[in-house]
Amino acid sequence: MFRKSERLWGKAPLMSDYDAVIIGGGLHGLATAYYLARNHGMKNIAVIEKRHIGFGGAGRNTAIVRANQRTKENLSLYKEGLELWPKLTAELDYNLMFYNCGNLNLAHSEAALSAMRMQVASARFFGIESHIADPKECKELVPALNISEDITYPIFGGMYHPPGGIVRHDAVVWGLAKGAAKLGVHIHQGTEVLGINVEKGKITSVETDQGTISTPRVLNAAGGYSASLSYKMLGIHLPVSVLTIQAMVTQPLKPLLDHVVSSGAYHCYANQTLKGEIATGAHMDPWPNYTTQTTAHYIKHQAEALSEFLPCLRGVRFMRIWGGLADMTPDMAPIMDGNDPIEGYYTDCGWGYFGFKSAAVTGKYMAQFMADGECPDMLRPFTLRRFEQHRLMGEMAGTVVYSPWN
Amino acid sequence: MNRLNRLPTLRVNPSEKLTFNYIGSSCQGVKGDTVATALYANDVRIFGRSLKYHRPRGLYSMDGECSNCCVEIDGIPNVRAETTLLRNGMNIRPQNVRKSPDTDIMGFMDKMDWAMPAGFYYRCMHKPAKLWPFFLKQIRKAAGLGRISPDFHMKGRYDEIYPNADVCVIGGGAAGMTAALTAAGQGLRVILLESRPWLGGFFDYRTAEYTPSQEGISRTLCERARELSEQLENAPNVRTFVHTAMIGAYSNNLITAFQTGNKSDAFDERYMEIRAKSVVVATGCIERPLLFDNNDRPGVMQVGCAHRLAQTYGLLPGENAVFSVGHDLGLEAVLDLYDMGVSVACVADVREDGQDPHLLEKLTERKIPFMRGWTAHTAHGSKTLEKVTLSTLSGAQHREFDCDTLVASAGLTPVTGPLTLAQAKLAYDNHTGFFLPEKLPEKMYAAGRMLGLQSPLSIETSGKLAGLSAAADCGTSLEHEIKQTREELRNLAGPVRGSKFVTAPVRGQKSFICFDEDTTVKNIDQAIQAGFDAPELIKRFTAAGTGPGQGGIPGHNLPLLVSQWHTDSGLAVQPTTVRPPLVPTYLATYAGAKHDMCKRTPAYESQKKAGGVMQRAGVWKRARRFSDDIRCQEEVENVRSNVGILDASTLGKFRIFGPDALRALERVYVGDMSKVSEAKIRYSAMCNEDGCLLDDGVVVRRGENDYYFTTSTGRAGQTVEWIRYHARYENWDFSIVNLTDAFGVINLAGPNARKVLEKLTDADVSNAAFPFAGYREFAIRDTIPVRVMRLGFVGELSFELHVPSSFMQTLWELIEDAGKPLGIRNFGLEAQNLLRMEKGHVIIGSESEQRTTLHDLGLGFLWYRDKPQAKTVGAVALRQTEHQEGRLKLIGFRMEDASSRSPKDGSVIVDSTIRGYVCSARHSFALNEPIGMALAEPQLADTDTRLEIFEDSGDDRLYAKVVPMPFYDPEGEKLRI
Ligand SMILES: Cc1cc2nc3c(=O)[nH]c(=O)nc-3n(C[C@H](O)[C@H](O)[C@H](O)COP(=O)(O)OP(=O)(O)OC[C@H]3O[C@@H](n4cnc5c(N)ncnc54)[C@H](O)[C@@H]3O)c2cc1C
Repeated sequence: MFRKSERLWGKAPLMSDYDAVIIGGGLHGLATAYYLARNHGMKNIAVIEKRHIGFGGAGRNTAIVRANQRTKENLSLYKEGLELWPKLTAELDYNLMFYNCGNLNLAHSEAALSAMRMQVASARFFGIESHIADPKECKELVPALNISEDITYPIFGGMYHPPGGIVRHDAVVWGLAKGAAKLGVHIHQGTEVLGINVEKGKITSVETDQGTISTPRVLNAAGGYSASLSYKMLGIHLPVSVLTIQAMVTQPLKPLLDHVVSSGAYHCYANQTLKGEIATGAHMDPWPNYTTQTTAHYIKHQAEALSEFLPCLRGVRFMRIWGGLADMTPDMAPIMDGNDPIEGYYTDCGWGYFGFKSAAVTGKYMAQFMADGECPDMLRPFTLRRFEQHRLMGEMAGTVVYSPWN
Repeated sequence: MNRLNRLPTLRVNPSEKLTFNYIGSSCQGVKGDTVATALYANDVRIFGRSLKYHRPRGLYSMDGECSNCCVEIDGIPNVRAETTLLRNGMNIRPQNVRKSPDTDIMGFMDKMDWAMPAGFYYRCMHKPAKLWPFFLKQIRKAAGLGRISPDFHMKGRYDEIYPNADVCVIGGGAAGMTAALTAAGQGLRVILLESRPWLGGFFDYRTAEYTPSQEGISRTLCERARELSEQLENAPNVRTFVHTAMIGAYSNNLITAFQTGNKSDAFDERYMEIRAKSVVVATGCIERPLLFDNNDRPGVMQVGCAHRLAQTYGLLPGENAVFSVGHDLGLEAVLDLYDMGVSVACVADVREDGQDPHLLEKLTERKIPFMRGWTAHTAHGSKTLEKVTLSTLSGAQHREFDCDTLVASAGLTPVTGPLTLAQAKLAYDNHTGFFLPEKLPEKMYAAGRMLGLQSPLSIETSGKLAGLSAAADCGTSLEHEIKQTREELRNLAGPVRGSKFVTAPVRGQKSFICFDEDTTVKNIDQAIQAGFDAPELIKRFTAAGTGPGQGGIPGHNLPLLVSQWHTDSGLAVQPTTVRPPLVPTYLATYAGAKHDMCKRTPAYESQKKAGGVMQRAGVWKRARRFSDDIRCQEEVENVRSNVGILDASTLGKFRIFGPDALRALERVYVGDMSKVSEAKIRYSAMCNEDGCLLDDGVVVRRGENDYYFTTSTGRAGQTVEWIRYHARYENWDFSIVNLTDAFGVINLAGPNARKVLEKLTDADVSNAAFPFAGYREFAIRDTIPVRVMRLGFVGELSFELHVPSSFMQTLWELIEDAGKPLGIRNFGLEAQNLLRMEKGHVIIGSESEQRTTLHDLGLGFLWYRDKPQAKTVGAVALRQTEHQEGRLKLIGFRMEDASSRSPKDGSVIVDSTIRGYVCSARHSFALNEPIGMALAEPQLADTDTRLEIFEDSGDDRLYAKVVPMPFYDPEGEKLRI
């Protein structure tokens, strides 16, 4: 506490040769780099980031973490991911500010309650704490909640998941960067990848605006930019639509919300950050868009929604809204794949608006994948080929499709 | 405190008293006061305590750029006292204090800064891990400023308007007013927004001379402002909104703002979205804070704050003042305040030269000591200001002065928020020291002081130029005028050189760059040492500029400071991003008037009267059930044994016609649509490209190339677009009309259904004349035209009557009357749910997931594979997935023990892992045992397979066995009677 602060990550010159090049200094890129160095003894790794680390979704998300996913393929991954935060805090010696306040997801119809029951039952089967709460318990958990009948979508109950919560997103970026740099990973900010070279079906090098890097392994972890990068540089088309998602905060308040509250019907979630702001967001505007610009109706929608189910917030002011990119796949599950069709080329994208919570654990498995060349079982269901085979994953129950026609 | 009540600039009425309550004592202010000025008049100097260190904070600026003067008013936290008008009866409380602002028991925190370097919480508090929950609690308690009660109810009226204009001018100072008048002079519709309750901007409170070139008469700036404002009042095509804060700018010149209402207005706050063809931004400047030790002590305030306190509100900021300025406005304020009776010990000016000689002369006349190249260095005083140390810029010399007020400012900074929200990129301008747009966004212009202009005439002329340019965007040809005005402006005084001085030569431990977050100059240094080089990252790491005032205080100084320390980084000096809303805005205001946009069918009231429990389902409100019995036994049994009616009006209904209508249907429906005939309905389904079921419904042919079809309720909104999308490359000739709201639908179902219908029509509705799956059109009571389908969703004889919405209510009543002797009853969605389950019919979204194909549901027979020319949507996938392994399949089940209860919907089917889940399960009254439908892995799909069911409560397991469906009337005999 009293020592003079040292640089969290150093500056290194760009080398002409790396064992692995990771495109994107976001959560997934940094985590993979960290685990490659930590678990697989790889020392010669470059993370290439065109702006500054955390510029993408990593620095724009609302950092909600939870493990109560819908399907078994996802449950085990997210469970491990959630359990990782305290461990990572100790390991990186950097406080990631994991606040396990629990998540309360509201149901506004019988059908929604049934859908939640399935999620709860699945989670519990995997040993993840979660239960259905009746409106009274919801109100006890969140006294600000309006459980009366006179709102557009009255509250029928909810799904309460105590081990979830929020993490400080910036701290994860900086902590991982610190940890990776300490193990020798080079983090190159302000460097853009411009091309990927392939010879005889194998990765040979990466072109950047600072020079060419020879490497046998590349990870595309460019978040919102990963699909266009994949197509432009390698001609590989990913079924990804990029949309703007927005989030906003109110002025800071003394403790008011002790849990993350979310509502599908209102398209709205809210939680109180450790700074006291109420952070809130929603689904995205359903048209593809590569800008991070905000829209007028979005913040208004948010106010309308919160006015109904958390009415005391009407007396609170919004302070700032921002946007980020969400790379959405048709089944709202990510794409994690590698060595297919190009040897040495790995992809970790399609994380949309939910890729914060699992970033660290994904990095661990992607690192294993890249080190062994063999896809770990945990990641197998997330292969790109599933789309070709019409085998969508079941994370979304209904047909919410974020594609151009919608 | 005494008010100066004869000033020409005064905006308060000292004779009209207002009473309010402050921490339990009754106080008085006057009409026109803001909460801040009223408190100031009542000798309040410490308004609250700062976030981390609990330092006393006071009035610093007048526009609410920081949280210093945030107070709680009538239970609402974080109200900016400086911009909120005082009202009678207000109950005002300070924030972040234990006890009172003067004697805050947390004051000791100020000594703890050594323990809290930038980002300290990341570096400690997690060691040992056991202590983290404790620290977490402490962080939460310390964080946040105001407090709101969870049952707080926001009073007041909130409204919203969406006006259009040719030109929208933001900022009602001299430049903005001139721009508005100029554009209006071209006959255009103009909207002018001003955040203060009056127009006038920088002119409003100043009595310095305004000298237009032509006229010889001398006027003050204040008189000039009022003259312009009068002209605006008389301009019929200008709508002026005062007390209206612009908060957002979006693409295509969508401007958002909110207006604070007066007593006479029908709203307290009103949200506005303005569409303008062209926009003029003339938002002027705010002050750039001067950084020195204890620059936050109550008694230290900005130039405009002291000046306006006196001129606008008639209050002297103090008795003995010291000034440390960086701009001529500071010198002007010295003179005015001196003339009003403030004793001025000394004036320091960070500028070595460049002052207006005229002003200097006046200082000399008044024998006010003036020190060039000097700055405030340290403010002293334990709670409020007592003394100040001045120093030379290098810190070589120091001098001390006793005072109760230090008027300090480093210079000005332009309010460029509206421009950057519209995506303008800023660059540092070396002459003005401002961050100014490199290029203006399309159809947006900037004018006035924000460009660095100082002379009144230049300011007005730049307003005129912007007004003309904006008018030209609206189609007026003004090339000549624009050229001439540009020339005129070039001959006037240009932007003045601005001071670049940021911080006094101090170590910076107590120099606050951001008041809201208690971020010091030292903290910035620490962040840079930790490797954060861009202002954007420093902001995140130190929290500077992330508090209630956002970038208001640190916005300009942060990048300047970083660039001074960080000359080697090669990064361009860039301010951090400004984000909407530019002024914090209540959720109540954004929410505006409350609209609940739900739809009701024409039979809504009748059902409600019949005891219907109306619930929202998508955009509709529909009857869930008609009694308290959630199992709806009576409703269900009445349909099975007698006759019931259901309002099915929410079904999607469409007409598609034209020579290529059939082609379009063939494309989107999986079935063979060429077989659709006139007297028969055809049930079919739509899939997406993955072969997954999207929609089901029936299609009938009503004439040549003319079809009528239904979709599920949820798809009604998307169907037209779906068909158009999938026909987009075809150049087909067809039209499609959404009739969903034009027709009501009544499902008359049960073995006695025919008896009811026969009473109402002469048409032959016998089974022979109108068999199952038939379609007929006839009249009810000779007048009401109905389209009738014999369907079997609920598994009984049933007639689905489609009727123009205007007749719906009448028909509903006729049927109820006709059925009364038989004991007809309403049934709702819940009853329908069980009835259709007994028949094994799926509801999309209930028995299907996003990934469920037609085959998975056992509906593969609907797919007609011999129409490849039709390019049926989903056909390729249907072929590929037909025999695919490992897909969840729809199965029916009964409980092993027929007397057991049914499992809850959503329970999972397990062995060593999860194998599927229960979609719906109910107690069937017809079978007198529970039945259910599930999606499960294929190895569980065989009849008689044992299913182990795990419920959400996680208690006992239930066991079921797979059975064939339908459960009820498997031969379908009941449908065909
Ligand atoms: C508003 C918002 C709210 C969210 N809320 C949540 C939440 O509550 N919970 C949750 O789990 N998730 C949330 N997310 C999602 C989450 O932030 C993302 O899924 C996650 O950040 C993805 O991480 P990433 O590392 O893949 O990508 P990113 O963090 O976006 O990183 C990609 C990086 O690649 C860089 N890059 C791109 N192209 C190149 C190139 N050619 N060369 C070099 N570098 C390049 C970019 O600059 C960027 O820094 C939210 C997202 C947003 C936008």
